[in-house]
Amino acid sequence: MTSISAALKRSNSWVWSRRLRIILLFVVLVLTAPWPARGQALSPCCAILAAGLSSIANSLKTIASSLNAILGVDQGMLRFEQTVVWPTGAITQAQALVGSQQGIFTRIQALIHIPVNSATQPNPQQLEMTLLSRNPGLIPQTSSNYTALYGPVPTTTDASPQVRDLVDMTDAAAQDAMKRAIQIDALSDLEIQAASQINQSIQTAAPGSAPIIEAQADAWLVRANAYTQAATADLMRLRAIDLANSSADIKMGATNTTNLRQQLMNLLQHN
Amino acid sequence: MHYLPYAVLFSGFAWMVLIVNGRRRMLTLTLAGFMVVTLVVIPPQAEAQGPEGIIHAIQAVLKVLNSLILPVVNSIHGTRSANSTFYQTSVWPVPSINQSTSLVLQMIGQYRNLMSGILNINLRSATLPAPQSMESLIRDHQVNNFGGLTQSFNSTYRTIPAPTDANQADRDMSDFDDALTLDSLKTLKASDSATDLELQAADSIESAAGQAVPGSTPFLTATATSSSIRSQALTQKMLAAELRQEAARIAHQNGLRKRGAMFTTQLRGFIMNLSQHN
Repeated sequence: MTSISAALKRSNSWVWSRRLRIILLFVVLVLTAPWPARGQALSPCCAILAAGLSSIANSLKTIASSLNAILGVDQGMLRFEQTVVWPTGAITQAQALVGSQQGIFTRIQALIHIPVNSATQPNPQQLEMTLLSRNPGLIPQTSSNYTALYGPVPTTTDASPQVRDLVDMTDAAAQDAMKRAIQIDALSDLEIQAASQINQSIQTAAPGSAPIIEAQADAWLVRANAYTQAATADLMRLRAIDLANSSADIKMGATNTTNLRQQLMNLLQHN
Repeated sequence: MHYLPYAVLFSGFAWMVLIVNGRRRMLTLTLAGFMVVTLVVIPPQAEAQGPEGIIHAIQAVLKVLNSLILPVVNSIHGTRSANSTFYQTSVWPVPSINQSTSLVLQMIGQYRNLMSGILNINLRSATLPAPQSMESLIRDHQVNNFGGLTQSFNSTYRTIPAPTDANQADRDMSDFDDALTLDSLKTLKASDSATDLELQAADSIESAAGQAVPGSTPFLTATATSSSIRSQALTQKMLAAELRQEAARIAHQNGLRKRGAMFTTQLRGFIMNLSQHN
């Protein structure tokens, strides 16, 4: 007991002697201690915030209503497209029609490959086989087959240069046309093959991709027209040569008549 | 988070304040400790936002919603509505689509049978039995009677001369002329048959167009275009046959010209021999 009271006295004495320092520490503690932040539960900010959020909600409702209207328009458009513009049933029906066209393609392909050769003699058979071959690789042998059948250009002892030129030009035009016929046959085979391929691809196309195939088909059509024009051009050349031959016959007839007249006059003068 | 370092620092500071000797040292230590605790441990006090700050923020949000987002959404709505109206009234108006399909159906009714009737008018004109048979065969659109055609052709135009009746060159030329004529006639029978199929294809495409919708039309136009290519190819086959035929015709004339030159040379030789003998 005595020791406790003695200790207390000593403590009091120690504290009293350092009272200034303790006051100083207390002041420092009060000034620097971190205090907890106050909550805003009872703050007037909450009311303001609530009113503001309510305004925002109203604005958002207006926006939602506009978005809803957009959704309505989109759904209407979708319905329109699905029932009027691209109804699946009609598209399937069109694809089925394309499939039925493929059957016609196959039948036409079979028709154009029916053999039509008719010659009976060896030389005509050889030339006919080359001409109906549809094989551009056989074009070079057309001239020899032709010469075997129609004979070569007369020799210089057998015909005048004028006649030889005319004969050679006519042979050339005829052979060119025959070679062109082989070319055109081969090209038309490829065109039919391409058209069949295009038709097959339409069957599996989508409404959006069908115009792409259509564009390709259009390009092929332009090409096909060009080949037709090439064939028509050769036909016109043949007819032009034919006309020129008729004219040449008149010219040669006139020359021959003049020569004959001259020779007769010479004969009469000698007599 | 700040309480522990604060307690540690403050305890150290208090201990040093209590044990330090001398007023000056204590004052210095107090000031230094105060500064350290203030600058290092205590976080800067956050400034509370007053009611005016919140109002400004809400007004800013409302301004964004009402003056930026809402007009844009309304504008999108207007554009989509206009787009929808445009498609339904200008691009794909249902009355116009119906009118087009009706036109197709009306034209089918107006032209199909009429044109078919014109094309199927009987053109046969031969009067004698052999030509009648041949005419019938060359116009029957069949490809399974080529043998009959050759027979009928030979009945009408006769066969090539026998070797005793003509020289080989004449027989060859005659044979080739006949062959190309028959080739062309056979090709034309196949072409006639293909033309029938093409007309059938055109009819089915036209009928489908009468039930088409804008979305299915590209399929029909694409298949019509591929049919056009095929049609061009068939035209080319016919042109090729005509080229062969025309080429053979002028080659024949040219052959006669060559033989004329040969005969003239032979004749000249005979005359010269004859004059020498006299």
